[in-house]
Amino acid sequence: MKGLKYQMKSVLQDKFCLMTFLLPILVALGLNFMGSVDMSSLGELHFGVLEHELSPETITWLERYGPVTAYGTQEELTAAIQEPSTNVIGVQADEGSIKTAISGDELDIFQQAAATLPVLYEQRAEAAQVKVQIWERRDILESLQDMFIPAVLIVAMFMGCTFNAMNIISEKEDGVAFVNEILPMAPGQYMLQKVAVGFLFGSLSSVATAWICFRFSWHNLGILLALILLSSFVAALMGLFIGKFSQGLMVGVVYIKILMLVFMAVPIVCVLLGISGPLAVICNIVPSKSAFEGIMALSAGDMRTAVKDVGILVFHCIGWFALYILIFPRRIHPQ
Amino acid sequence: MGKDFFTLFKKDCRMLASGKFFLMAIGFLILYTAYVNLGYIRFMHMEPYNVYLYDPAGTQTEKSSLVQTVSSMEDMDAALLSDANGVGIYAGDGDVQVVLYAGAERIDRHRADYALSLLRPWTSRTPEVLGTNTPEQKARKDITCELLFFELTAVGFLGIAAVLFKEKGMGVIRVHAILPLRKSKFLLSKLAVFLLSDLVFGVLLTLLNVGLADGAAILPAVLLQTAILSLLMALAGLLFALLLKDFRQFTLAYLVIAIFAATPVFLSANTSIKLDWIGYQPFYHVYMGLKNAYFGSANSPVYYAVSVTAIALLFLAVQLAFYREIRKEG
Repeated sequence: MKGLKYQMKSVLQDKFCLMTFLLPILVALGLNFMGSVDMSSLGELHFGVLEHELSPETITWLERYGPVTAYGTQEELTAAIQEPSTNVIGVQADEGSIKTAISGDELDIFQQAAATLPVLYEQRAEAAQVKVQIWERRDILESLQDMFIPAVLIVAMFMGCTFNAMNIISEKEDGVAFVNEILPMAPGQYMLQKVAVGFLFGSLSSVATAWICFRFSWHNLGILLALILLSSFVAALMGLFIGKFSQGLMVGVVYIKILMLVFMAVPIVCVLLGISGPLAVICNIVPSKSAFEGIMALSAGDMRTAVKDVGILVFHCIGWFALYILIFPRRIHPQ
Repeated sequence: MGKDFFTLFKKDCRMLASGKFFLMAIGFLILYTAYVNLGYIRFMHMEPYNVYLYDPAGTQTEKSSLVQTVSSMEDMDAALLSDANGVGIYAGDGDVQVVLYAGAERIDRHRADYALSLLRPWTSRTPEVLGTNTPEQKARKDITCELLFFELTAVGFLGIAAVLFKEKGMGVIRVHAILPLRKSKFLLSKLAVFLLSDLVFGVLLTLLNVGLADGAAILPAVLLQTAILSLLMALAGLLFALLLKDFRQFTLAYLVIAIFAATPVFLSANTSIKLDWIGYQPFYHVYMGLKNAYFGSANSPVYYAVSVTAIALLFLAVQLAFYREIRKEG
């Protein structure tokens, strides 16, 4: 306990370490701000028209489907359609109906919308009479934001790893590591103290991030907490591995960058590609996959998957811990 | 004169090689290429909405081939549950009813009207195509541009700082203070190493991911933008490395730049979200310069003038900081 107190003391003096834990919280605040940016407009159809060309009724009809922007000249309209970051569909009058223009590089869904728009226009009177029943859906991710939140949470948990790795490397560089070896302290004790610091701060940072981002419901609080604590512990252990393996600060940063990319990419790609079967089981080797999946499942209300992921994370904790003990056994130095 | 520079250049290259810098760049090149070709291109598809029809009496005889028929109401529920963007049409007792899961309000309206239009005979009217890229070409250019921007800001900035901090620690700057060499050469050789490695990285990344024919056509414009970005980031990295105390402080500055500077840029430049203040973000203009190069649009002369001025000013600032450092060390 006394050792832990010294570790904490050295951490609190290090501004850099403190800032690494504050960063995800700042990003979470930023994300909350982003919530005010309307993400739902991303999938909407955007129309570009020439000023004073289409009748006000047609414009009103177009606005039922998506925002309409009027351009002064044909060149401006063409430039807006060709602009690669948007999917603007150009709409012009055509002998009592309308015709559309696209850039040709849009996704299929937008190309199809542009191709069928004149037909929709001609059939608008019939379509208005049909009864449309819209069902509410609760369990579908609302927007891109829902994917950002687990990603930020994983970064927050990962901070424990960055912290531990940096801490050990700088001890190596300052020569404190040599001093540690002759201290009357068992390597296991040393390791536990190191893990504890990263774990503590990593989970604090994650809990704060989750508190800002998540809409809590009390019944799944326990599982969320379990997911956060277990993955923070694994991340802190990973930091220990990186710290042991890297020779200098630069190499350490490279390892951290690679590990972070893998930690972020594997779960996101798994979700986007909908990977299942044996490949998904193999992906579980990356601990962040279970954490990400668990948080996503929790926000969708799927308790079974979340509990399964907690189980996988427990395995990770035990496995990595055992591996560390095996690789770096208690060394006895002939003094 | 030339020989001095070459010796310094060689020393910097050796320094980077020993820091596994080139190895890392090659590793990331492989990783990005695999990501683009195996991952990104495959999931960048959005098919038109599926339309499911339950028509027990067989009243809809003129329906399009895009409509999928289901045999019971339960089947339709199951289909819609697994494909939440799909639209169901129930043509049971005389009148037609559309059923769909709620999304954004205006998209829902379009989905419903689109589904109904498929029940009547129609000929799809091909829209006029104004651009030259196919969806896949666009996706490839988009992602390559993003990856190159990310890697240039990361590698140039972090790499040069890592080298400089290492040299600071080894006392190289102190040695330079007494060497009969022009001080600017010390900085120029570093810039040259990073510029060269970034250019090679840019060429390989573009050719491997955009494709040989498409990539070669846009390469000159892309290289010009790569050079501007590389010089800007390397100079900024040098400046930070000279002003900050140690590498750890620097890593923090780096994280801030990576997260806060890059995220809004990507959001604003790649999606229809336009933030009002984004014009004041310098990275946005550099990113748009690179993006324009990939998509073959011209950049304004003002942009070039500002970039050159910024590079010149940064170089002056770096030189001043370097002299200050020499005085401090000497």
